[in-house]
Amino acid sequence: MSANAAGLSGADTAKRQGRRMAPPVIRGLLWAAIGFLIFNTLVSQVLDRELYDPFVTRVSATVGWAAAVIGWLLGVGAWEVIVLPFFGHPVEWDVPNDWRRYFMFSTDHKVVGLQYIFTTTGSFLLAGFAAMMMRMELMNAKLWVFTNPGAYLTTVGIHGTVMMFSVGTVALVGGFANYFIPLMIGANSSAFPRLSGLSHWLLPAGIATVFLSPLLGQWTTGWRAYAPLSGQDPSGIVFYYLGVFAMTTSSLLVAINLTVTIIFKRAPGLTWNRLPMFAWGILAVSLLTIIWVPEIQMTFIISLLNLIVPFSLFEQTGSPLTYMESFWLFGHPEVYIIVVPAFALWQEIVPVMGQKTLFARQWGVLGLVFVMLFSGLVWAHHMFTNMRNSEMLPFSFFTEMISIPTGFSYLVVIGTLWGARLKFSTPTLFVLMSMFNFLIGGITGVLLADPVINLQTHDTFFVLSHFHYTVIGSMIFTWLAAAYYWLPKLSGRMYSEALGKLGAIWVFVAFNSAFGQMFFAGFHGMNRWVAVYPQYLQNINFSISMFAFLLGLGFLFNFVHIAWMWNKGKPAEQNPWNGKTLEWHATPKPGIATFKPLPQVETGFYDYRESAPSVTTSPKRT
Amino acid sequence: MIDILLFAVFWLIATLLGEWGVHAMEARGLYYSAATSQALDGEKAMAFILTVLVPVIAFIVVMLIYTALRFRSRRSLQFRDNKMFIGIWVLLSIALNILFFVHPSASALEQMFNNEEARLNRHDLIVNVTARQWEWIFSYPQYGIQTAEDSNGNSTLYLPVNQNVRFVLRSYDPYHTYDPNGAVIHDFWIPAFGLKQDIIPGETRLEYVHTNKITSYDVDPMVRVQCAEVCGPGHPFMEAPVHVVSSSDFLKWVQAQRKLEAS
Ligand code: HEM
Ligand SMILES: [Cu+2]
Ligand SMILES: [Cu+2]
Repeated sequence: MSANAAGLSGADTAKRQGRRMAPPVIRGLLWAAIGFLIFNTLVSQVLDRELYDPFVTRVSATVGWAAAVIGWLLGVGAWEVIVLPFFGHPVEWDVPNDWRRYFMFSTDHKVVGLQYIFTTTGSFLLAGFAAMMMRMELMNAKLWVFTNPGAYLTTVGIHGTVMMFSVGTVALVGGFANYFIPLMIGANSSAFPRLSGLSHWLLPAGIATVFLSPLLGQWTTGWRAYAPLSGQDPSGIVFYYLGVFAMTTSSLLVAINLTVTIIFKRAPGLTWNRLPMFAWGILAVSLLTIIWVPEIQMTFIISLLNLIVPFSLFEQTGSPLTYMESFWLFGHPEVYIIVVPAFALWQEIVPVMGQKTLFARQWGVLGLVFVMLFSGLVWAHHMFTNMRNSEMLPFSFFTEMISIPTGFSYLVVIGTLWGARLKFSTPTLFVLMSMFNFLIGGITGVLLADPVINLQTHDTFFVLSHFHYTVIGSMIFTWLAAAYYWLPKLSGRMYSEALGKLGAIWVFVAFNSAFGQMFFAGFHGMNRWVAVYPQYLQNINFSISMFAFLLGLGFLFNFVHIAWMWNKGKPAEQNPWNGKTLEWHATPKPGIATFKPLPQVETGFYDYRESAPSVTTSPKRT
Repeated sequence: MIDILLFAVFWLIATLLGEWGVHAMEARGLYYSAATSQALDGEKAMAFILTVLVPVIAFIVVMLIYTALRFRSRRSLQFRDNKMFIGIWVLLSIALNILFFVHPSASALEQMFNNEEARLNRHDLIVNVTARQWEWIFSYPQYGIQTAEDSNGNSTLYLPVNQNVRFVLRSYDPYHTYDPNGAVIHDFWIPAFGLKQDIIPGETRLEYVHTNKITSYDVDPMVRVQCAEVCGPGHPFMEAPVHVVSSSDFLKWVQAQRKLEAS
């Protein structure tokens, strides 16, 4: 370690430093490997030798992993940016102004945002590939892709975990919000740039940990990692807890950074009444994250200790349901962490595309905030099959009531669409599709909130389809809407309308055909977590799989299209959609200050009347 | 004005189509197969909710399509408020949710709780269900049957028709009782019976059904016990066939089981 650090100290320019130091990512990997080896060996060979002397034990893997993550973070740049300055050294960390900046610690919120966007896209493709393997297996009622049902279950667990904690929770928050929130509120940086730089690098560490978990053994619990079952499996589950710890910490740091940014770094004149809808959405989910992520992290730590000490906290002699209660206490707010930014983006994109004053804005804000407040009151609707009778009605009540503030997002968008001058572009199409899909997710949610119906549909493909409608159908569709909407801002280039619409229709048709059928499979007796199922369900599963593959290809098509146009698209105008929010009036190139001087905001951003006053007064840098 | 009229027409058409679809599904049976009164109650609750919600779904879907196709590149109307529309929307969404909470959520649940009341169940058939990894064990204490098995030694569940049944659910491994922490959570689910109940190690859970038609796994694969909570690699294999038979056939089966166990 010291040799590397010494090699750095003389560097002053980006170029020289680049030559003298190993690329940060490589250095990070090296330090991680060294950290793991040293601490794992120390624990398994010296401090805590076990019977038969295995080289990797649950305890040594845990300690070694912690050392590896610290080594990785220091290696990608935390050593120079955080540790050395802490001891009074000047910061010597020059970020070259080219592609290399994405592969090292950066304090520029735009670079961090793009790093998150790339990392989530990569993990979406990997976890999506896992889904394709699962659908392949389910084409046939017998085992044929996986060699045993445990391998299938491990794949389900990895798919669900990575999708939830590195795509669902992260794509719109760590990705687009890190990039755009400071721009939209007229700030040149986020509130805690170094924290923000650190947060991204925890994410690949967590993703890698979860994908490597089979090295320690199968785990069959699915993404909930629920005890008591988790206490039985081989040790793979240890890497689940550790990997998710890294990913959720990443989200927590983002949430803290964005909350403080939104509260304290708004441009002069940008009052709460004028705050963009997307910023409201991000503020709501950041607060949710700050409230609930520490709760689940404690649960995971306790469950990990339960495994490695070991205790028997969640077993028969302990309290078997406590883990599930604690999990869903976080787990339900988690789904709103995923979907609230999508609601906010509908309300952000539609007025711009319609060139129409935002309708009933205060109800939209109320909706976002009340969804956030209610989401802590509904968790046990995941547990109708094992709760006391007396608990059913209150949880059913709150679950049904949460559809009221959710509906306000529809109220706002529909009011805005009526009489608009709508540009029927790819982002518009994706937003409308997302709203349709969430409607299906919401209606099936109302059915699930009814205890009597829930007792039949719980743990079947009905539920599976319900939540995929909310995560893929609305959040992923809105993610793509945002990607097309902001592409001109991110890259300075325009996508192709024809290909964009083709991509939208493709994924919409494939998605609804695949997941629409799953509702019926669920009613017909198809339960979850089974690699093998009764023969009579094979036809419908075969058909679902075909459309699922089509969906996978559709996503690939959209990603390739966006990536291609990012580099080769036609140059775009500064403000192609004629939006009023501040990001369209700024220079959003990484490495360049956005606003010089800071804008003075005079009015809200969603007034499209001809007589509308202009939004800012100070001269804009274009 | 013309827009509102046109929209209303489309909305009406979509609603009618939707209601027709719901009723077609209802006629087919929303749960595909319903062999207990509990399953019928569930189907009824679902049909009610869907029937009421069809106009709401139709409103939003037609709205999304209509506005997207109709309001294009014309001069836009600019407004930011419409007290009446917002008022109706908010009040209606509150009213609908309260309606659903009262009926069917609370009312159907009340029905279910009533079925569970001891006074109504004095003549329950009691079936002790033991879930172990990965097998179901059924015993009939009232008839002295320890493990109900077919001639191949696989667990089977026989129930008489038109009878209240009380399942007593426990999760432990009767063959390995030396490990008090070995058990995990399972879930007792018979798809055609329309409800399920988790089985928690260290606890005793009950599930009540009232069988209402003669059927069996041989004619309908939904008449099977299927574990619905993941319980390890053997989870998919935790199933057992169910037979709902007439009471005389049931007694015949009891005799045969006794003979089997005695031998
Ligand atoms: C790309 C298309 C996708 C397909 C075809 C797909 C398919 C599936 C399938 C087949 C299962 C397992 C069913 C079972 O045997 O229980 C599953 C589980 C799951 N999926 Fe997906 N999925 C996709 C995308 C997503 C996305 C985008 C998310 C979240 C952001 C997600 C979250 C989950 C979760 C949380 C589970 C549950 C895992 C568990 O049971 O513990 N999926 N998915
Ligand atoms: Cu089981
Ligand atoms: Cu199971």
